[in-house]
Amino acid sequence: MSRWLGPVLVLLACAAGVHALTLNVAPGFIMARAMDALAQRGVTLHDFTAPRRISPQTQAVVRSSPDLYYALCRYDLGQNGVDQAAEQRLAVAMAKWGDYQSLSFFDARTNNFATVRGTGKAVAVNLLPPGSAPQKGAIVSPSAKGVILIRRLAPTRELFDQAAASVGDECRFLAESGPQTGLSR
Amino acid sequence: MIRRIFAYLLAVAAGCAIGIGSALGMAGLLPGTNSLAFGDVDVGGWRSDFATGSEAADAYTRARVARHGLLALAKSEAVYFTRATDDDGQPLREACTYRLTTGAMPAGWWSITLYNGDSMLPDNDDEALSINAGQDMAARIGDEIVGQGGTATIAPRRPEGRGLWISSRNAGRFDLTLRLYMPDDALLADPAGTLDPPQIERLACEDAA
Repeated sequence: MSRWLGPVLVLLACAAGVHALTLNVAPGFIMARAMDALAQRGVTLHDFTAPRRISPQTQAVVRSSPDLYYALCRYDLGQNGVDQAAEQRLAVAMAKWGDYQSLSFFDARTNNFATVRGTGKAVAVNLLPPGSAPQKGAIVSPSAKGVILIRRLAPTRELFDQAAASVGDECRFLAESGPQTGLSR
Repeated sequence: MIRRIFAYLLAVAAGCAIGIGSALGMAGLLPGTNSLAFGDVDVGGWRSDFATGSEAADAYTRARVARHGLLALAKSEAVYFTRATDDDGQPLREACTYRLTTGAMPAGWWSITLYNGDSMLPDNDDEALSINAGQDMAARIGDEIVGQGGTATIAPRRPEGRGLWISSRNAGRFDLTLRLYMPDDALLADPAGTLDPPQIERLACEDAA
């Protein structure tokens, strides 16, 4: 009997370890795949992508609502090729909309780490890389990569077209090397 | 000695398989797993995870939401209830016609949307996959609830008359998601005592099942 004790303990240890590892890895894995899928569907890095109205033919994400206007921006605040001494940030703006709208931020593990409601008004915030010191009017991202999502209440085609025509949505990457240097997109 | 090594290798392989399988199963990620069996809130068969979207969500909730509710908002902004059975506890099916009855909703805006078993909108061009607060069912002006709800028909074909319709064409087995945006504080504190859950009455089925 004792000869099986070792293998049984190894089996239990492996099962518990892999169980925990799988749960830990799954959200990041799923989010990474979703971001790849969004990229393939034309959601660009550091810019809000003008969406198509959600329908069975255009949906890219599970449980999208056909009653909402969604504009997506992928971001990466840890890009290679950027001066490592430069202070990276993302300037994010949501144009005014007469009905409900919100600006929501999701990290690389799918957490909705911030949401700003903007019903009837415009909103502008800066998104800072992980580990940044808190600043007024800024949000610190828990991960270098993530997704920003504008939702606007637009349940009809006419309202969707109006939402899509809104001017002023912005998701712009900035790398600031010093007080005298310019900002690069 | 070789048998002993083989036993350990077998234990490692079996342990890894059990670990992966149990994690995916308990998180509702295995094909065919009913993700609606999870959640910390149940109001009249409508289930929800109020931890959705937040860092407070446990590992199982986070993994499941990543698969079935990616980019969902935290509860302070919106809550999501899902139901996959009618009032008799039978699975919702394309072959059947249902009457959906709603009451006043404790939120700034709401909608009910139909999704297929893959959590996607079913493949049809009916442009009738949801109803919402703007369709004279249960509107409110400011903080005052005006109107006490109404009804809609869920069916694979548009019903006669001018009533509201949610198309289940090409949905197979499906579920409904109730979105409540800008939820009232009372709903978050006491969902069972605050939400009047929409009723789903099965009217008829085209098959014998």
